[in-house]
Amino acid sequence: MATRPTVSIATAEGKPSGATQTLPSVFSAPIRPDIVQQVHTGMAKNKRQPYAVSEKAGEQTSAESWGTGRAVARIPRVSGGGTHRAGQAAFGNMCRSGRMFAPTKVWRKWHQKINLNQKRFATASALAASSVPALLFARGHRVGKVAEVPLVVESKTFAGAALTKTKAAIALLQALGAGEELVKVSKSRKLRAGKGKLRNRRFRQRRGPLVVYNPETDGKELVRAFRNIPGVETSSVFSLNLLQLAPGGHLGRFLVWTSSAFEALDQVYGTTTTPSALKKDYLLPANLVSNSDITRLINSSEIQAVVKAPKGEARTKRVNVQKKNPLRNKQVMLRLNPYASAYSKQKLGQQSVEGGKPARAGETFLNTLSEE
Amino acid sequence: MAAERTNVSNDLIWQIVRNQNAYLVRRNTGGGSQFSRDPLNLVNKHSFKYAGFVNNKAIGVQAAENGGVNVITKKPGNPQQPRQTEVTVNYGPKTSTRKIYKGVAAKTAVNGYRADIREEAVARVSAVRRSQKPKKDTPARQPRSVKARRAAEKDE
Repeated sequence: MATRPTVSIATAEGKPSGATQTLPSVFSAPIRPDIVQQVHTGMAKNKRQPYAVSEKAGEQTSAESWGTGRAVARIPRVSGGGTHRAGQAAFGNMCRSGRMFAPTKVWRKWHQKINLNQKRFATASALAASSVPALLFARGHRVGKVAEVPLVVESKTFAGAALTKTKAAIALLQALGAGEELVKVSKSRKLRAGKGKLRNRRFRQRRGPLVVYNPETDGKELVRAFRNIPGVETSSVFSLNLLQLAPGGHLGRFLVWTSSAFEALDQVYGTTTTPSALKKDYLLPANLVSNSDITRLINSSEIQAVVKAPKGEARTKRVNVQKKNPLRNKQVMLRLNPYASAYSKQKLGQQSVEGGKPARAGETFLNTLSEE
Repeated sequence: MAAERTNVSNDLIWQIVRNQNAYLVRRNTGGGSQFSRDPLNLVNKHSFKYAGFVNNKAIGVQAAENGGVNVITKKPGNPQQPRQTEVTVNYGPKTSTRKIYKGVAAKTAVNGYRADIREEAVARVSAVRRSQKPKKDTPARQPRSVKARRAAEKDE
């Protein structure tokens, strides 16, 4: 295997600590938005709670059809008298206060089964995408001031409950260059449109950085430190969730790694050849092409050596061009009338007629003309 | 991170983000036009050629707050370090426009940076400079016809 890229580890002040780590294999997993989207739509459905209309809704009258012969439709009608309701149509989905069409049932298929290997593929893919700055920008993360992606912070910063205060957590994120991101998230908080406001989803806001830690060495105190910062989420490296790694099915979540969590990735996911230590019989998916740079492939000497030379000339002859007026365009005129050049050179057009102007008619002629 | 990433390339990134990204502006009006809000996009058009955040080499021209022009370029060397990738050169408000053209053209076309977008870069500098010119007030309207005659009579 070729040498893997290394990632420098930042200190709590955002400076490079000097230590580096090789990039875990999971970051070389194939980036497949199609798989991520499919798994995301499935997983997003798995938190739903059943709802349905009441079983009795629209069915609570003793209506019966009047049958034919009464010059009204044969839909069931409310029996009795003494109230406006009597004689009105009932039950049907087309009726006022009738039941709905195909009443919803609590036994709808709410959850989706997703193949485990697909879920793991999607997670690996989302992790790989989180290490591409262009994809972070495409998701809208403000990472222009971040020193390096993936962003890894020394575990020393967190170990032994060193970071328990939100104030310190904000200072850490700002030092790492995520200050703009925090501002973006807190400014994005808007009142939700629709009924969701009444259902404990009053505001909507952007997602900020996801802090990934290793609970064994970093402890869990940092969760409390980060949890009140708008948009910031935390996750253990052993239980990464696609809904957090690719919110909305869009690749490229901004992740902040602790160094021990980053180190644990090779243990969690293994490589394409050595199985994962924690997932049974799991190998990372391999890339189908060894070089994804199409431009580089096309321009490579191997390809260029075998492709045929382009047909035709460098200049193509234009056929259906605009018609030019030969009276205005000299070149077009010359093409049509080669004599035109000699004609204009000799100034034939400007020459006076031979013999000058004809003489005026004499007096006699005029007299003869007017004699009548 | 010096070694190459084999699973990522500009072409792949474009395929991932071309349908949906934070800079993309889509409207049904105007025949489903697609624009980009990317600061590194010279013509604000949603296309691979002009998508500055996708390409390793890109140039952006923006109006600066001091009345000058900011020219942003990307260093192609290490795309993994966003903070060091972008280089901004500020041309002050007093710099002659032709000098900025020359600087921008040199930056794009010399050294094989991005010769294909040189023209657009220069055109954008021109557009930015034009937008920075102070706006002239419209001249007061001359009275015409009856009003003009009356005004002339009053003057006499």
